[in-house]
Amino acid sequence: MPEFTRQVLTLVVVTVVAAGLLAGANMITAPVIAERQAEDYRSALEEYFPDMAEFKTEVLDEGSFDLVYNAGGELLGVMASASVQGYDGPISYNLAVDKEGAILGLRIVEHTETQGVGDVIEKPEFQNQFLGKNCLDPLQIGEDVDTVSGATISTSAMINSMRQLLSVVAENLLLLETEEPLDIAAVPDGAYRGSGEGYFGEIGVEVTVDSGKVTAIEIVEHHEKPTYLVEAVASISPQIIDGQTLEVDTKTGATESSIGIVDAVKDALTKALNAEDVESGEDDG
Amino acid sequence: MKAVKMMDNLYLNDFTRGIFKENPTFRLVLGMCPTLAITVLVKNGLGMGLAVVAVLACSNVVISSLRRFIPEQVRIPCYIVIIATFVTIIEMVLQAFIPALYDALGVFVPLIVVNCIILGRAEAFAGKQPVLRSLCDGIGSGLGFTLGLLLLSLVREIFGNGTLLAETNYAIQLFGPNFEPMRIFAQPAGAFIVLGLLLALTNIIFKRFQID
Repeated sequence: MPEFTRQVLTLVVVTVVAAGLLAGANMITAPVIAERQAEDYRSALEEYFPDMAEFKTEVLDEGSFDLVYNAGGELLGVMASASVQGYDGPISYNLAVDKEGAILGLRIVEHTETQGVGDVIEKPEFQNQFLGKNCLDPLQIGEDVDTVSGATISTSAMINSMRQLLSVVAENLLLLETEEPLDIAAVPDGAYRGSGEGYFGEIGVEVTVDSGKVTAIEIVEHHEKPTYLVEAVASISPQIIDGQTLEVDTKTGATESSIGIVDAVKDALTKALNAEDVESGEDDG
Repeated sequence: MKAVKMMDNLYLNDFTRGIFKENPTFRLVLGMCPTLAITVLVKNGLGMGLAVVAVLACSNVVISSLRRFIPEQVRIPCYIVIIATFVTIIEMVLQAFIPALYDALGVFVPLIVVNCIILGRAEAFAGKQPVLRSLCDGIGSGLGFTLGLLLLSLVREIFGNGTLLAETNYAIQLFGPNFEPMRIFAQPAGAFIVLGLLLALTNIIFKRFQID
C-alpha cells in the first residue's frame, strides 16, 4: 500500500471510529442527562414556589416561561429560562419571579465561563444583588446593579439578558404596568393645554376633545427646528386623532420632537382627567 | 540521589519521573494556560489536576496501543482526535452518571483537550513506548501536574482569599475578620508572580540536590 493511501486511510479510520464512539456515548448519556436536568429544574421550581401544584409553559422569542400555579389555580409566579452568549459560550439560566414581580432567585443551569473568573455568575457575590429586586426596576449597570470586575463580559451579558427577560415577564406574563393607559373617552369636552420635552426644549400643545374624542392637536409653543416639527406633527397628529390612542409610532428622523408632542398630549389629557376627578368629587359632596 | 539511582524498576521510574524530574509545571513548564487561569482556589487546582490524570492515563494507553498503526506523518491529528474523543466521552459519562463529580469538575473537562501536557506525553512517550509503561507515565505526569496546580493554588488561595479549601465542605477561614485579602494573588498577575517564585524555588532545590 502506498504511504499516502495509508496515511489517509488511518485518518479516516481514526475519525470514523471516534465519531462512532461519540455517537454511541451520546445515545446512552443524552436521555439520562436530559432527565437529570429536568429533575433538577423541577426541584428548583419547588424550592422557589413551595406551594406549586402545576405549571404551564409558554415559549416566546426571548425564552421559555413556566407560569406556576397553586392548587387553587392561583398564579404564584413565573420561572423564566433563557440563554445568553457569555465570554466563552452560551450561559443558560432560570429566573424565578413571584406574582408581584419580585425576583426570587437566579439559577445558572449551564455555562462554560472561565473557572475562577466568569463563573462568578454562579456565586452569591453576583447573584445576591438581584434578590428582592423587581421586574420593573431599571436593572441598569452602574445604577442599581453592578458587574463584577475581572468578569465584566460574563456579568454584563447576564445583566443585559436578565433585563430583557424580566421586561417580558412583567409586560407579557404578569401584566404589570408601569402606568395605566389613558382613557381618552373619559375626558370631558374642552380644550386642554399640556407640555412635553422635545429636542430643543418644551413643546406646548392645545388638545381639543369633543364627545370623548381628540379632534384637534395644535402646537402652541416650541423650540424645535420648523422642518422637523412639521414632519413630527404630520406623522403624530393623524395617528392620535384617527386611532384615538397615545400608543403611536414616532417619526424617524424627528423622534425627539415626536416624543415631545405625544408627551404633551398625554400631559394635557391627564390634567383634564384629574381636574374631572376633583370636580366630580365636589359634586358628590 | 542514591535513592533515585537505585530505582531500577522501569515502571516505578516512569511513574516518578513525571512527578519530580520532569514535573510538567515546574520542570517542563507545560500546560501554563490552565495552570495560570484556574489556580485561584485549591478546589479548582485539585479538580483540574485529577481530571487531567484520568484523561492522560486513558489517552496514553490508547495512543501507545495504536502506535504501530499510526503513520508518523499523520500522528498529531490522530492524537488530537483520540484525546478530544476521550475528553468528550468522559464529560458525557460524568454528566450522566456521576453528577456530583461533574458539578465539581465539569468546567475543567473541556479545557483538557487543549492541555499540551496530554499531547506532549503522547508525542514524547506514549507514541513510542509499550502500553503499561505509558500508563505509568500518564498517571505520573498527571500527578506531577496536579502537584504543581496544588502548590500554586495553595499559595494563591491563602494570600489572595485568606482561606483554605474554600467552596468545599472543609472550608477554613485562616485569618481574622479584619484580614484584607491580597487581591493581586487572585488576579492573573499574581499567578505569574507565584509561578515565578515557585519555579525559582524548585530550581534551587533541584540544583542543591543535583537531581538533574
